[in-house]
Amino acid sequence: MKKNLPWLLWLWISAVIVGAFYYAPLAKGFIGKSSRILFFHVPMAWVSFTAFIAAAVWSVLYLTRGRQERHDRAAAVAIQLGLLFGVLATVTGALWARIMWGAYWNWDPRQTSLLISLLFYAAYLALRGAVDDPEKQGRLAASYALLGLVVTPFLFWIMPRLTYTLHPEPVVNAEGKVDMESRMVQVLIASTFAFTVLFFWMHNLQCRLQALVARREEGRE
Amino acid sequence: MFAKEWRCELRTKVALNTLGLFAVTTLVVASVSLGPLGVSKAQGSALLPVLLWLILLFSVAAGLPRAFVQEEESQTATALRLSATPSALFCGKLLYSLTLVVALEALITPIYVTIMNLEVKSPGLLVASLAAGGYGLAAGSTLVAAIIAQARSKGTLFSVLSFPILLPLLILVIELTRNAVVGDPAGMALAQLLLYDASVSIFGLMLFPVVWNP
Amino acid sequence: MTKLHFENVRRRFGRLSVLQGVSGTVLPGEALLVTGPNGSGKSTLLRCLAGILAPDGGRIDYQEDERALDLAERRLRIGYVAPDLAFYSELTVAENLRFFARLRRVGPERGFEVLDRLALPTDRMVGTLSSGMRQRLRWGWALLHRPRLLLLDEPFQNLDAPGEEGTRALLQEHLEQTPGGLAVIANPAALEIDRVTARIDLGR
Repeated sequence: MKKNLPWLLWLWISAVIVGAFYYAPLAKGFIGKSSRILFFHVPMAWVSFTAFIAAAVWSVLYLTRGRQERHDRAAAVAIQLGLLFGVLATVTGALWARIMWGAYWNWDPRQTSLLISLLFYAAYLALRGAVDDPEKQGRLAASYALLGLVVTPFLFWIMPRLTYTLHPEPVVNAEGKVDMESRMVQVLIASTFAFTVLFFWMHNLQCRLQALVARREEGRE
Repeated sequence: MFAKEWRCELRTKVALNTLGLFAVTTLVVASVSLGPLGVSKAQGSALLPVLLWLILLFSVAAGLPRAFVQEEESQTATALRLSATPSALFCGKLLYSLTLVVALEALITPIYVTIMNLEVKSPGLLVASLAAGGYGLAAGSTLVAAIIAQARSKGTLFSVLSFPILLPLLILVIELTRNAVVGDPAGMALAQLLLYDASVSIFGLMLFPVVWNP
Repeated sequence: MTKLHFENVRRRFGRLSVLQGVSGTVLPGEALLVTGPNGSGKSTLLRCLAGILAPDGGRIDYQEDERALDLAERRLRIGYVAPDLAFYSELTVAENLRFFARLRRVGPERGFEVLDRLALPTDRMVGTLSSGMRQRLRWGWALLHRPRLLLLDEPFQNLDAPGEEGTRALLQEHLEQTPGGLAVIANPAALEIDRVTARIDLGR
């Protein structure tokens, strides 16, 4: 099964891409064909946030289950991937915003919260980079991740306040649930599923790669 | 713990000077740029609370991390690790940070309000927002300071790490301050701010032993 | 009964493996001497035993009165002397002692007693002390809470003859008279100390 996973994944993603462009109808109220971007932008943002939750879980595991290196590594890789997907989501979101409203940035709550989470991921990685000793790195990073987790719910609460006058509606959510035709929903869910699997597959690969590098370093001396 | 901090501090006055100097300088820069331009009332109520909290935030970032960084750099941290229970240490440092922040606010706010000709409709709410916001600044900063004290490039790292954590606090407290200025009621913001303060304190206390000891 | 037992303690820094599986047992009245050239891991071992450095592997078990102490408890119970131990230079010796005594919730009398024996004036700012006087202060601080396990890293460093004599006497008393007293001593060169029952040489 594991061997076949990449092939299945690529097949699935190809299906999603085809579906996004041909199967799903265009959403109402969108300019031109721009709604297609929805099928990629939303899952990427979703994965970015999921990555944070995953990293927090691994951080807890690291701290409570005997400081195992693999948990620490898993948390770090999750944040790295979270940053990657988050940047992609922000860029696609900005492109979409440009098409829809003529401006790349709108202080839409989703946009803003995505940006803040990017700042947080970058800070986490900066912290890791500033500590040499692996044991120290592990516990400081895990602590910071958990501190971030504590603070995140407040960000969600505050989001409604951040909508300024230009574009009041959180567009992504408003039309997402109510107006979407079933075909769009299908493709969207399929795409989200695909991106989630992609995330975990990349995560697994990267963790194994880093573990191998670490073992080689150890064996060297 | 708290007493020791202040005794050391009063003998050298480093933190007080840093904080105070930074804050006053920033304040002067801000007021010189804005004052002569004559900010209108409406613009003022939107802009000035933001500026006040930015000044406080950056002053705290300049002066507060010293609490832990100093221990590591002067190598007294080892003695502390072997003598004090982590919770006692954290509470002591937090209390110290808190008094620094309160002193800072007491210094800056009256000057700020006067220089900017800011008319505050609900002074009580302003005090409350300074108190709750100041506490949050101190609590969040104390834990982050403990983290960066054991890393390299401590100065910049502190800002990088603390700002995402303090962002919800800032948003809430700026709104509260704005309400105080224009005379709006506090609303949910105060409750949320107090909840933030409580959460950060509790989790700070829980996470501190992990950060402090191997 | 007090007992310290460690097994296969390992520690590396980056690519450098400093401790490669060190083991030992120390019982009351005994002193374990750890020797070896600079960089052989003596201080590292002592730091691991003290709980201020986490080993990469192995185990460290310490018990007092048949009760095993966890890492946090061990950290607070031991007495530690090391070259990099520093105190607050803006406070006087007495203020430092009193501060740490209050942190440990004990009276400072023992600390003052030790410093009196070592002839260290207590009203001077720590920042003005010479290195030999600092070393005496370290001893006073280490014995403040009457610990059973002493971890001594180059304990006689910087001391003049009277200083060394005084601290040796303290060590001797500790091993002979303190109930359950034991010690681990690290020094580059071998030290002549009675009651050294075991040696570990980390030399390469």
